[in-house]
Amino acid sequence: MEKIAIIDGVRTSFCKMGTYFNDLSAQELGRIVTHELIERTEIDPKQVDEVIFGCVGQPAEAANVARVIALLGGIPQHVPAFTVHRNCASGIESAAQAVMKLHLGEGKMFLVGGTESMTNIPFFLTKKMQEIIGNLSRAKTIPAKLQALSQFRPKYLSPKVGLMLGLTDPVCGLNMGQTAEVLAKEYGITRREQDEFALISHQRAIAARQILKEEIVPVIPAPKYKEAIDYDNGPREGQSMEALAKLKPVFDRRSGTVTAGNSSQITDGAAALLIATESKARELAREPLGYIRAYAFAGVEPHRMGIGPAHAIPKVLKKAGMKMSDIQAFEINEAFSAQVLACLKALETPSFADEFGYEGYTGTIDRNKLNVNGGAIALGHPVGTTGTRLILTTLKHMKRNNLNTGLVSLCVGGGQGAAMILER
Amino acid sequence: MSLTFRIEKQIGFIEVDQPDSKVNVLNLETITRLDALLDDVKKQQELRAIVVLSKKRDVFFAGADIKEIEKITQSQDGAAKAKAGQDLFNKIEDLNVPTIAVIDGVALGGGCELVLACQYRLATFNDKVRIGLPEVNLGVVPGFGGTYRLPRIVGLSEGLKMILAGKPVDGQKALRLGLVDQLIFQKGVGQQIEEFVSLIDKGGMVADKYKRKKQKGMPAFLDNTLVGNKMVFSQSRKSVLQLTKGFYPAPLKAIDVISKNFYMARTPGLAIESGAFGELAVTDISKNLVKLFYLSEKYKKLSLPGIETIKPQKMERCAVLGAGIMGGGIAQLLAANDIWVRMKDINYDALAKGYKAAYKIFSQEVQKRRYTKAQADVKMAHISAGLDYAGFRRMDMVIEAVVEKMEVKKNVFKELSEMVGPNTILATNTSALSVTEMAKVTKDPTKVIGLHFFNPVHRMPLVEIITTPMTSKETIAATLNLAKRAGKTPILVRDSCGFVVNRILLGYINEAGKIYQECGNIEGIDQVMTDFGMPMGPFTLSDEVGLDVGIKVLHILENSFGERFKPADIFEKVFAKGLLGKKTEKGFYLHAGKKRVLNPEIAQLSGVKNTKPLNRQECEDRLIYVMVNEAARCLEDKIIDEADAIDVGMIFGTGFPPFRGGLLRYADSVGLKHVVQRIEEFSERFNSSGFKPCPYLQTLSQQNKGFYS
Repeated sequence: MEKIAIIDGVRTSFCKMGTYFNDLSAQELGRIVTHELIERTEIDPKQVDEVIFGCVGQPAEAANVARVIALLGGIPQHVPAFTVHRNCASGIESAAQAVMKLHLGEGKMFLVGGTESMTNIPFFLTKKMQEIIGNLSRAKTIPAKLQALSQFRPKYLSPKVGLMLGLTDPVCGLNMGQTAEVLAKEYGITRREQDEFALISHQRAIAARQILKEEIVPVIPAPKYKEAIDYDNGPREGQSMEALAKLKPVFDRRSGTVTAGNSSQITDGAAALLIATESKARELAREPLGYIRAYAFAGVEPHRMGIGPAHAIPKVLKKAGMKMSDIQAFEINEAFSAQVLACLKALETPSFADEFGYEGYTGTIDRNKLNVNGGAIALGHPVGTTGTRLILTTLKHMKRNNLNTGLVSLCVGGGQGAAMILER
Repeated sequence: MSLTFRIEKQIGFIEVDQPDSKVNVLNLETITRLDALLDDVKKQQELRAIVVLSKKRDVFFAGADIKEIEKITQSQDGAAKAKAGQDLFNKIEDLNVPTIAVIDGVALGGGCELVLACQYRLATFNDKVRIGLPEVNLGVVPGFGGTYRLPRIVGLSEGLKMILAGKPVDGQKALRLGLVDQLIFQKGVGQQIEEFVSLIDKGGMVADKYKRKKQKGMPAFLDNTLVGNKMVFSQSRKSVLQLTKGFYPAPLKAIDVISKNFYMARTPGLAIESGAFGELAVTDISKNLVKLFYLSEKYKKLSLPGIETIKPQKMERCAVLGAGIMGGGIAQLLAANDIWVRMKDINYDALAKGYKAAYKIFSQEVQKRRYTKAQADVKMAHISAGLDYAGFRRMDMVIEAVVEKMEVKKNVFKELSEMVGPNTILATNTSALSVTEMAKVTKDPTKVIGLHFFNPVHRMPLVEIITTPMTSKETIAATLNLAKRAGKTPILVRDSCGFVVNRILLGYINEAGKIYQECGNIEGIDQVMTDFGMPMGPFTLSDEVGLDVGIKVLHILENSFGERFKPADIFEKVFAKGLLGKKTEKGFYLHAGKKRVLNPEIAQLSGVKNTKPLNRQECEDRLIYVMVNEAARCLEDKIIDEADAIDVGMIFGTGFPPFRGGLLRYADSVGLKHVVQRIEEFSERFNSSGFKPCPYLQTLSQQNKGFYS
């Protein structure tokens, strides 16, 4: 089978919910990276075979957001597009779809990515309120209208917050943060360990500011067009253990350890990659950033969704015929400190490998090779986009440091893990 | 004129198909033939309906023949011509079978009046459907019954609106207005007509076309009560006066006509209309507007000998170098025409300004309902921006709009020339600098051209396309094509300092500065020019554009042409003070508040004392003739080929009053003898080099010729 090349990629900066990208929709963020990737790679957009975007909070006004992005971003209309949703691994999924299609011979070049405007995930009306409005619009006579209105109670006005609905597992009923609490307790991960991990994320992200600019396309946000945003606004310069220690647990107020400080930030952003067969990349006379070697997805219990990477990583290593020690750079998405640390512990515990039959594909991950430019705790986690960013950030890191292999992995709400191996 | 009549299933079809023409036009011949045909039709027994159709693609009737309006020299003759058309349409209206017009394209002027005479109107879903009465744009009122029938069919206020603005409506709007009774598919027209006739037979349609439109509330009050009507007429008069400043008599006349014949029986009502048509058709204003119509048609299709056969290269992606207000404006124009645009500048602040400028225009268009919000968003999404040359290799054209400094421009072109692909055209939006010099530093000077847009880009219809001796025909063809696609009127100018429009206009502004130094009356001078019909006076214009721009161009012109372009002292002083105009909130006027007030600093700066009172006539003559003289020099220097091009340039580039027919046509109408005499007089009195009559102008006047004759 032909190697699958990632020709190039870009992302917007990641901006905390309600900040610089407040007025930019998911489709607009996706449009910006798509447009920019076309310009920077100087490809003829007619040659793109399909556009695939991951998005979790898919905008109601832009159904199949990938198609909207493609059309707004300068992809000719004859090129089809579809949107994928695998929760936090939607960005990885978009790349995985391209790999599959390329292997099947269904095209030579795909533009994939992820986009998320967590700011703009809407609030919903209560079911009762919906019914009243529905009845009101159907009522023909004034008495019938009054009848419909009489059903109204002020409490029906309290909205359901779409973002919170999305971050709650409908099967186990737990919020994502609560699933992290489950893992913290199970693996005995202390508050201090979690905060230390969070601190390192911020310190590394601050140190990597210049490096990360290589992958960021500066955005001048509409409609004010005030300034160009070319940096992630999540990392905190003065982050300290003391400051982190002061925060109260959010998800289990009395006995919990997971705080806003050791969880990922809620953020807006988009990223895009141009993926092609090796021969197509050669035809375009472009040296690819790197190649996709393998990917894997694994299912776990929904209330322990954060442990997903501990399953997806051995699975993908086995698929690629590689060992943990073959990997030179790791990115495990920092949904929660507790969850990443639980994965690391599981992977270095022989009984874990035993239990699931992962012998030979687990081991200790060197912290100095893990999330070296900071992670979602500092940079933020625009859910549909993060997978794409991890691929991009890892490839750029590998290129800068002349590394040959990298592995990215994420836990996935609903109880899954995703992993992908990259090489140069 | 091919007119055929056939009967199918007891329905009579009158089909119009003018030979050797893409369109049908109502001229004397058509009217006579149609009249004769109607006599035959009347003899037919037991017809269920008569249908009028055009066999032309996308055209019903393009209107009356403008050449016939142009030929009218006697108002009685005009009135008679109108009456002939009215009589024909009355004949159609008086047929005792239902008449149906089927409109599958444009039905303008006389074409619209023909369908109004029919009992029913059907339009197709064709995007090209446009129905309306644009006569006021030619300085006349509708003459074939339009003023009488339209307000009765669509209601007084909507009818007046259509006639006064002269703007046609599309099919959907026509349906909403009640101007057409149904929209039908373009496929299977025959079948649908038959169904419609059956509907009429069954009594499914209100037979009286004037009673078909149902109105409620405010519109009903305005259209159907005397008090309401009075309000409509007075409001219309007010807004027309505001818009035309009283320079254009036709819309006012239309209000007069309708305010009378709206309450009259058909015969006297139409007589008032034809009388008014005759009166207006002989006015100079109408003649000038008709000529202008021809001119703009000619320049919209402008070509060069030898390029007609060239297939212009595609224009899908353009870059704009130098964002800012002008760059943003150009980016907006391109994006509005679905071209992908990349703005490049040296810092993000500049890019932000470009975005902002483009976004502002799109927002205004949304407010004016020219676009929906979604349409505007899609168009705006065509613009991206960056600091580097990303994507430039694939550009079809790069339009440079950086600062007006030759050294900078040369560097830019040299660098650009390395960054772009072999097919990329390099255009400069310079307003005065030498395109040839810029071309010389590039790898391929055949690809370099000037594309001079006027500010504000989206509103000013003119572009000057500047060619150098090296510019290739392919480059010219592609650039002309782009200008047309963007809906602009191009004129072709040979590279020379200041090209044509700025060269003429700056002489005028500079002269205004000199007059000010004598009389100290800024507002007075501005007033003289707005009274002449200019959209704004020279000082207001300077404030709009920015004095820094004006001074810069004057210096460039002075460099090339010498003393006559040396900026008037007052301009240098005001410029040195940084009173640049709107952009600094202070210029010759203060722009901080809502109301414009004279800036008191100017009088102090100028030190003008012992001022003479402003001589209005002399002021007007000086300002206009200094332009005429400079325009004659442009023709003499062969920078531009025809007087037309100068008139088009001045009207569409500076807003020179259209009813005057253009700068040179106006000069002709005054008489070049008089013009030269005045110029000589000014030259002596003011010892001004600007007023040395140019030899070409002198020759014309000695030979008793004009620019056009």
